[in-house]
Amino acid sequence: MKNFKRVLASILSAGMMLGLLAGCAAAPAASTPAPAAEAPAAEEAAPAEDGVQEITWMFWDDLEATSDLISLGYKDVVDRFNKDYEGKYHVTPITTNLEEYYSKLNALVAANQTPDVFIVSPGPNLDVYVNPGVAAVLDDYLADGWKDTFTSDAVFSGGTYDGKIYAIPLNIAAACVFYNTEMFEKAGAEVPTNWTEMLDACEKLQAAGYTPITISAGTAWCLSMVAGYLCDRNGLDLDKIASHETDWFDDKVVNAANQIVELSKYFQKTAAGDDNDIATAAFYNEEAAILIQGSWAIGQINGANPEFEDKCGVFQFPAIEGGNDPNRLIAKSDSLAMSSATKYPEASIAFMKYFTDDIAQRYTAEKGGKIPVTKVEYDAAVAPKELAYVMDIFENASGTFGFYNESLADTEAGSTFDNAFVEIFLGTPIEEALQEIQDYYEANVW
Amino acid sequence: MDKLLRNKKAIVLFVAPAFILFTLVLFIPILQSVYYSFCDYDALTPPKWVGLDNYVKLLTKDKTMKIALKNSVFFMIFSCISQLIMGLVLAGFLTNIRKGRNLFKNIYYLPCVLSSAALGLLWMFVFTPKLGINAMLTSFGVFSDPTEGPLWLMDIKGYIILPMWVIAFVALWQYVGQSMMLYMAQISGISNDLYEASYIDGCGKGKSFIYITLPLIRPMVATAMSLNAIGSLKFFDLIYNMTEGGPNHRTEVLATHLYEQGFKYFKYGYASAIGVVLLVLCLLMTFLINKFVKMDNYEM
Amino acid sequence: MNVEYGKPNTAGKVINVIIYIFLILLAAVYLLPLLWVVMTSVKDDKILMISPWAFPEQLMWGNYTFAWTKGHLGGATLNSFIVCVVTLVLSMLIGAMAAFAISRMRWKGSKLMMTYFLTGMMIPVHCVLIPLFTKFAGVKLTNNLVGLIIPYLTFSLPITIFIMTGFFDSIPDELLEAACIDGCTIYKIFATIALPLAKTGFMVTGLMTFVANWNELLLAMVFISDESKKTLPVSLTKFVGPYNTNYAQMFAAIVIAIVPTIVVYCAFANQIVEGLTAGAVKG
Repeated sequence: MKNFKRVLASILSAGMMLGLLAGCAAAPAASTPAPAAEAPAAEEAAPAEDGVQEITWMFWDDLEATSDLISLGYKDVVDRFNKDYEGKYHVTPITTNLEEYYSKLNALVAANQTPDVFIVSPGPNLDVYVNPGVAAVLDDYLADGWKDTFTSDAVFSGGTYDGKIYAIPLNIAAACVFYNTEMFEKAGAEVPTNWTEMLDACEKLQAAGYTPITISAGTAWCLSMVAGYLCDRNGLDLDKIASHETDWFDDKVVNAANQIVELSKYFQKTAAGDDNDIATAAFYNEEAAILIQGSWAIGQINGANPEFEDKCGVFQFPAIEGGNDPNRLIAKSDSLAMSSATKYPEASIAFMKYFTDDIAQRYTAEKGGKIPVTKVEYDAAVAPKELAYVMDIFENASGTFGFYNESLADTEAGSTFDNAFVEIFLGTPIEEALQEIQDYYEANVW
Repeated sequence: MDKLLRNKKAIVLFVAPAFILFTLVLFIPILQSVYYSFCDYDALTPPKWVGLDNYVKLLTKDKTMKIALKNSVFFMIFSCISQLIMGLVLAGFLTNIRKGRNLFKNIYYLPCVLSSAALGLLWMFVFTPKLGINAMLTSFGVFSDPTEGPLWLMDIKGYIILPMWVIAFVALWQYVGQSMMLYMAQISGISNDLYEASYIDGCGKGKSFIYITLPLIRPMVATAMSLNAIGSLKFFDLIYNMTEGGPNHRTEVLATHLYEQGFKYFKYGYASAIGVVLLVLCLLMTFLINKFVKMDNYEM
Repeated sequence: MNVEYGKPNTAGKVINVIIYIFLILLAAVYLLPLLWVVMTSVKDDKILMISPWAFPEQLMWGNYTFAWTKGHLGGATLNSFIVCVVTLVLSMLIGAMAAFAISRMRWKGSKLMMTYFLTGMMIPVHCVLIPLFTKFAGVKLTNNLVGLIIPYLTFSLPITIFIMTGFFDSIPDELLEAACIDGCTIYKIFATIALPLAKTGFMVTGLMTFVANWNELLLAMVFISDESKKTLPVSLTKFVGPYNTNYAQMFAAIVIAIVPTIVVYCAFANQIVEGLTAGAVKG
């Protein structure tokens, strides 16, 4: 009992103690320097300078160290904005690497420190911020004519919930097959249009001593993108999965899984562990002939090895005989959302507008190699050659669909899909791997 | 004197800061963690009580958890045994050589003070086929191509996959200095008379090591083992920087799984359940080791 | 140390040689990776990919400039330093106070209190990560160096108290009694007698605390988002992550991260090693 009282006493004296601490610190001779002197240095808050509205923007690449041309374009946007609005608005980027991006963003959201503006992929990732009201509705801001600068209303579809727009698209990238024209020529391989030809081309490349395909299974979405293409080419309808009209053991999924196994013979040996950047580097360093990637890779490829542009060809993901329409395209847009709790909506919107102004959008096409979202005129002759090929494919597309991992029930369903296909690639029996995602849907979706 | 030492005000004053910090930052959060582990909690909405759901899911359905648990236990057993053996061998060797004892000791201890994040990255590169060991062996003509050699951090064959062994050996490399130092310190405290007596009885060095040194350092073995066990259960930095839990979660351990569930998927309740499992394992191991390894202290 | 009693004979010599060979090979395993990373860090990126194990022909110091400025390692080093020094000072003070009360003062709960503190050594930081994060987020302590100092401090306390108690225990009673007769207050005894006598203890705990906090990754990774507030392990992990193709610069970053520690270690290796062991043995 006495102990208890003592404990209680010590708790009660807490406040007093903390106050005394500083005084005590100076007393015990020279062996312990006073802590008080050090502590305040750590507590540098960032008070807004007089009149300057400080906002933050969160992005998934380091703007200083990157060689990605799209990221460098965003850095220009930040610099231009800060220069033009000097003394009025100021934006500070918070950057992470791509793998960590959502963890860090979620941490900030949970801490009530949501960045004023943040980049996000439409789909379940955006749901996470729209549903609890973290992301702001943007329609009012778009109404002043901003919306009319975009190519069509359709570009907003990914960020629209119940008729309200929550995210502004910045550019469009389409997933295509990039190939090394020189290697294809030397190996006598033809640009394939269907699956048989695709395997045939790989066979010829391998026979000629090349690594046919470089892909990353270490970064699961890269492999999963190919799986998504295969599912779609086989004719899988995701709506039917969502409504449980069919399930993950659908023949179309199983076919896609078998095709991944077929194709994996032609992957580089280190595919299981290589991450996206390493796999892409193997393509522009001419260690492998084929890269199946989104057209954002153009910025990465041309940024890292400008000489490669002339050798780089693009074709659309091959058809599956007897399958679905082969002109469907996986498309993805980087989008910006604004925090509903932002103190400075005007500054945030002004900043967002800089991403879609003519300078930024022209850069997107001419340097970055992505498809612009506004009606901007750009000089096709200056733009990367790859973009012209991608534009061709894009304009002939009969329809677009999203990344599979961003088109399923939620982010975790997406990850489960990614992991299931990586498992299949790693050699897990198809049944067993598909059971995982089946289980997830049974437990959480259906 | 006695009155002075019973000065209650002074006692409270001395103990309170540590006690308050400890309670607020460690003890209460642990209780909260236990509470969260029974809740569905996603940080944006308040925790909702779901009873044992998280644990049921964690221990019966979650395949990654199974892998993480397997890896963590493997890691713990490996590090306890390997550090015990290597630590004793090194301590035995070093106390018996005349020249260069300090030099070797300092070299082996060095990685213990270095950042395991940095060392993890360093070893990641060493085991990257195109850069590290494989490239070196290729330049000596052992392999025709760096990817011909073992894919150290990517291979997935076997019950305990190659990357786990690699990481376990790197951990041994980094931390064996600690065990070695503990044993050396303990050995140097053993009275020479004991050894002298054993030599007179005709024991060789090896025998006296087994019959005198080993029993006498048993308490230290328990301490070192507990440290190893807890240290390896909460292992994070090396794995995070060498494989990030890949390929496809095959090298996930409890700490990385907790990090992913909690801070990637926002599942605070579920991640807290992983934390509780980790805590229970730590307490259990400390208890077991102290019960079975540590015996009464011998008179030195 | 035990003296050698057996007379040197041939077998003994052979064994000795084998032991030395083993020790030297093992030392190579310890030093070669470190040398390799230093050597590689000054290479040209393109050459590095072609022949990663060849000696650099041309020293590319630019790799270091790149890593230092673009990787934000300079600021990160400063942050780590601030966090570690503040934690160090506070933990030694608070720890010593508690240890003194537990070790020398007479009260009923002292054993219990010690056990309470010691359980802290068995608790991994992961278990409190989420509650701490939510709590700190509520009071704006995330993204703030103070938010790192508080948990670092707390997790340094058990070992500090543990070791310092050992040192205070070994102070002879007579010394305290003498002071008592001179009419010193308990505070004065603590400050002028106990603290100076436990100097070694401070060095030991200081080293352990510093090393542990300097290298801590998980908490810092979760708590800090701002580039300008990241600590060294976090900045390093981030820098080496996404630019996976600028190998030479990444090696330079690793070197920057470990060289200060190595330099300090080389200068004080004997004291550090002795100190850390002394601490562990006391415990």
